[in-house]
Amino acid sequence: MAHGYHGSYLRIDVTTGVADGVRLSDRVLRECIGGTGLGARLLLDAGAVAADPLSPESPLVFAFSPLVGSPLTTSAKFAVVSKSPLTGRFNDSLASSGFAIAGKRAGCDALVLVGRAPSLSVLVIDDGRVRLEPADDVRGDTCAAAEEKLRGRLGADYRIASIGPAGERGVRYATISHDGRHAGRGGSGTVLGSKNIKAIAVRGTQRTEWAHPRELTELSRDLSKRSFGPATAKYRELGTATNLLTFNRFGTLPTRNFQSGTFDEAEHLSPEQLSVAHSRARASCVACTIGCEHIYSLGDRAVRLEYESLFALGSLCGVGDGDTVLRASRRCDELGIDTISTGGTIAFAMECVERGLLDEPWLRFGSGDALLKAIELIGSREGIGDMLAEGSRCAAAIIGRDSIAFAPQVKGLEIPGYEPRGLQTMALGFAVGARGADHNRSGAYDVDFSDKVDRRHATLESVRHAIDTEDKAALMDSLILCKFLRRVLEDFYGESAAMLRAVTGWDVTADELRETARRIVAAKRQFNLLAGWTLDEDTLPERFLSTPLPNDPAASLSRERLEELVAEYHRQRGWSDA
Amino acid sequence: MYVEFLGIPRQRAGLSELEVEASTLGQLLDTLAVQCPALNELMSADGLHPSIVANLNGDQFVSDLKTPLAENDRLLILSADAGG
Repeated sequence: MAHGYHGSYLRIDVTTGVADGVRLSDRVLRECIGGTGLGARLLLDAGAVAADPLSPESPLVFAFSPLVGSPLTTSAKFAVVSKSPLTGRFNDSLASSGFAIAGKRAGCDALVLVGRAPSLSVLVIDDGRVRLEPADDVRGDTCAAAEEKLRGRLGADYRIASIGPAGERGVRYATISHDGRHAGRGGSGTVLGSKNIKAIAVRGTQRTEWAHPRELTELSRDLSKRSFGPATAKYRELGTATNLLTFNRFGTLPTRNFQSGTFDEAEHLSPEQLSVAHSRARASCVACTIGCEHIYSLGDRAVRLEYESLFALGSLCGVGDGDTVLRASRRCDELGIDTISTGGTIAFAMECVERGLLDEPWLRFGSGDALLKAIELIGSREGIGDMLAEGSRCAAAIIGRDSIAFAPQVKGLEIPGYEPRGLQTMALGFAVGARGADHNRSGAYDVDFSDKVDRRHATLESVRHAIDTEDKAALMDSLILCKFLRRVLEDFYGESAAMLRAVTGWDVTADELRETARRIVAAKRQFNLLAGWTLDEDTLPERFLSTPLPNDPAASLSRERLEELVAEYHRQRGWSDA
Repeated sequence: MYVEFLGIPRQRAGLSELEVEASTLGQLLDTLAVQCPALNELMSADGLHPSIVANLNGDQFVSDLKTPLAENDRLLILSADAGG
């Protein structure tokens, strides 16, 4: 068996609490690597693709990787893979924390959960031995509170991933959290909640060995050294929140539910302004040398703030008060809900009110009180919150009257903070994404912010760039390494192969990893095909295809143009079943 | 013409914009190296460091040092890694 792996996964039926170790062959591991790739394979092998994602038979996979536990910077990551209750399609959400290291030390390369516990429970995995414990004392607790209580009960050496109150109540974009980090998108927490599991507590002592320890140490030292350089300075010194002013300057900052690409109050939300009233500290994920987390004080507590939360709860809802956005972001973390889907769904509802389609007069763009109230209602599923907890696509189906035309989603997943009309390579990445509109599965915005393309006028030449970024993201999500390293890796596939060789001992090459990346992208699509995907899902909401960007009329993307790009994407992928 | 700084370049320059005289991108970078020495770490012999990009008037990204600049142009200098 290859080094860096245990060579098996743990299949746990939470209905009974019985676990079985299932062997993973070298061939499967080499084809899939880990993380998203391994998760996709296990999900396909488990069947139940057609099942309701919230049914007991629908699997939920926690996939680690060969690099987890190694000295390579940013490698302490895990992927949570399932059918999404928000999209009905493939979903993989990733997080960085000690849960990845502890989970792998439990003696397996992945956890596959099926079934439904008889009552709300904690799944305890102690060095590979599995048991269920009652979760009555943490019912309704925030993610952080549940984690603290359970470590008090079980022991400080356990690492605990939990859902918040929203996951218990079936909000369809609930997260799984550990140590303040979230596997955030697509409703992984909803799936865990549907299995009546409030939290997974894990510890272990089983380490894997590295094939070439000396070479691995040298590679790790070099990578760490380079991770301190200019390529990551933005993340380290300012955090992703600095994107807000850049995007606003380019007229691509989604504002008031994508009705504009500029926000008059953007300066109020810049990291520099937020830092005036809220002290800022830096932190790192476990085993990371970049240190991208910027944590702002808020009263006697703190809140992590990323660009995606800032745009979704700020400009997208027309809210320019930094204090309110910080409160909203913290509340989403406490409830355990994805900030992008939360902000996107609320902004959609605000536009419905503005258009007279929804009789909730308090829910107005720009109202911080309305934003905070709506988040509470979503978390409790009370009042209009019950509908908004289903996401913008479902809400549009309920509201009707063509509101789907401006519901900000692709395949049901709310669009991140990149205006598609002004960033058209990204628009293609959103349209074809297996899990819906997502900036972590397609980094095509990198291309739009370069001299390789005209960001306002995508051509067929843009397609290969979109494919290239999607392939690289799939490989990074399977190795697993943080995407903030992508500019640090000067020879992406070559350096990735060197790392994998040092860990596993395989004679893997750059060319092999290029093929592996494409295979992983294809596996995600294969899941979607089996789940009922059709070509008309690879598109954008009507708003983006019928109306130029109001603040930049040159930024216009016709339906015909997008269809050409999508067709060329499928052609270059070699997918003839579209 | 004006240079606008965003992100790390703004932090290094200590200002959000600067009026300069330059007729090409190369001339402009030479001028910035003198007027804002803190920006030198973001430059290489070939122009800007790979982690930094330049954009003309919010439209076209430019890297050729011979790129002509006009009096009314605004050159934006920002981190290449726009996302996150």
